[in-house]
Amino acid sequence: MKASRRTRLALALAAGAIAVALAVVLSGAVGAQPISISAALAGRDPDATILWSLRLPRALLAALVGCALAAAGTALQALLRNPLAEPFVLGVSGGAALGGSIVLVAAAALSRLAGPAGELLGSAPPVAVGAVAGAALSTVLVFGLGRIGGRLVPEAALLVGIVFNSFVAGVITLMKMLVPPEQASRLLYWLLGAVGYESPGTLAVGAILVALSVATLVALSAQVNLLTLGDEEAASLGLDVRRARAWVFFAASAATGAAVALAGMVGFVGLIVPHLVRRAVGPDHRLLIPASALFGAAFLVLADALARLAFLPLGTEPPVGAVTAFLGGPFFLWLLRRTARPEGAR
Amino acid sequence: MIGRSPAAALALAAALAAGAAARADDLRPTGKGAAEGGSIWVGERPAAPPRRVVVLAPSLTDVVLALGLGGRLAGVTRQDDAPEVARLPRVGGFIDPSPEAILALSPDLVLWVADGGALAAVRRLAELSRASSRPFPILAIPIVTVADVLATPRIVGEALGDRAAGERLSRALAADVEAVRTRAAGLARPRALFVVGREPLVVAGPASFPDELLSICGAENVVRGGRPWPVYPLEKAVADDPDVVVDAAPQEPAEGIRRLSAIPAVRRGAVLRLANDDLIRPGPRMVRALGDLFRGLHPEAAR
Repeated sequence: MKASRRTRLALALAAGAIAVALAVVLSGAVGAQPISISAALAGRDPDATILWSLRLPRALLAALVGCALAAAGTALQALLRNPLAEPFVLGVSGGAALGGSIVLVAAAALSRLAGPAGELLGSAPPVAVGAVAGAALSTVLVFGLGRIGGRLVPEAALLVGIVFNSFVAGVITLMKMLVPPEQASRLLYWLLGAVGYESPGTLAVGAILVALSVATLVALSAQVNLLTLGDEEAASLGLDVRRARAWVFFAASAATGAAVALAGMVGFVGLIVPHLVRRAVGPDHRLLIPASALFGAAFLVLADALARLAFLPLGTEPPVGAVTAFLGGPFFLWLLRRTARPEGAR
Repeated sequence: MIGRSPAAALALAAALAAGAAARADDLRPTGKGAAEGGSIWVGERPAAPPRRVVVLAPSLTDVVLALGLGGRLAGVTRQDDAPEVARLPRVGGFIDPSPEAILALSPDLVLWVADGGALAAVRRLAELSRASSRPFPILAIPIVTVADVLATPRIVGEALGDRAAGERLSRALAADVEAVRTRAAGLARPRALFVVGREPLVVAGPASFPDELLSICGAENVVRGGRPWPVYPLEKAVADDPDVVVDAAPQEPAEGIRRLSAIPAVRRGAVLRLANDDLIRPGPRMVRALGDLFRGLHPEAAR
């Protein structure tokens, strides 16, 4: 028995939504400070403040970032036709961090000359614009330099991305020396990838950006299916390949830029989640992109809860980027060995 | 001179290696603070009062200046901001001193707050000093408690050949601390959260200077646990519900504390903002700033 695509989409979306809901509930229930949920629901402090002003906004932030990164990862894997593609590995996150950092440094310089204007430049929307621009430029760079003899070579693009990431890390470290200490610690955060406590305004800006870019990717998912066939095949089926690819590039960059502006360079979410979801729903991007987006949200909410809980005995908490890298690094290597196997042995 | 011939260079390298192996532990922290006699001399103690002193910590520079011996200073760190040393050469930073910059000043004494961050560089410096034609001593002073801060002028005064001045300064600082302690006794004890970083939230825990300073000023640190400077979960800070938040991040804009407005004290405006970082400079500045901390924590007694 094979269910229709519509039924499978509905099932996948329902499963994803339930996963997000469970993750958010779990993330709200656990933390450094034991709280009583009933007291929080009754509005008694400090439990109510901890639940409503700290844990839920933080879970929402993690969900937004995970959703954006997983959707972007799925799209980039399709474009590169390689399962190892991912915003962090490809250097797109690095480009976003660099773009955002440049805006932050410019804001720091401007605030010395004209205080309020500098503060305005350092607020969430301009930094997000810088991050999206940086992500888009680095995508163009990586996919451009990944072409050898007019043909896109996935391994070359991945290598360019990895080198570009180290380059960005170096540049941001240099920029750290040029800004006041407050900005320096913020830049360090970009490099680490950490879900923290953002203001409702910043969350709203991030939510709009993530919703728009992920919705665009979902809308393009049928074209993404064609793009995975290869340029000639896709063109022969009537697809305007350049145009479609440019749109997917831009939407994936915007999603990555938004994620980085919110939480810095959280790695490997776009690698782990699409891979696991693909095993469940298959390779059709019309299912894969929306399902990955939802499960990506659930994944990062859980990873952040894990980051908060794992070091509880030490009375401190590591950034979530450390947790995703801890899981994602080995996963990447495992995937690499698997895909490197000769065709016949699969 | 070093490296006149390949053979000499080889011999020197061998001597360095042997020396390093034999004496690498000279600088190993004893676990005792300066007040308990934990200071370490590496190299021959100077016979005559030193004239070219390189200081590797701003708080020690403050001690030398307060002793009236600023003229003996030959080099300081890049974090040093006392106006008296504005024109002195810099020898790297507090946690990353540059051995070559120090050697270039040919000092006759190096003063160091035995701090883990710079241990490797200072160890290297000790090896280079031993191998050079003009070896110089290094005095490592472990300063981890307020008692160590109060003992330090005595130690530095003696090292610089002015025992009396050191003794006087140590006594004066101790009297200042005692005065605050006496005023605080019998007052209500506010519960305080001492914030040094906002994003992520970094606070002063037990076994940090601020913890001890709060206690001297008749306040109680809400932070428990074993770490001196933990990255503290914001929700714990909310549940701790301190009476007052000490904003000890003077280099950051004051309004940035609003990030922490989930903490009731911040919402109430019960924030004591420090004007500078004197309180975390374990020397005369810390003692001088203690009065301000006391008045901020006990506005009722200040009047």
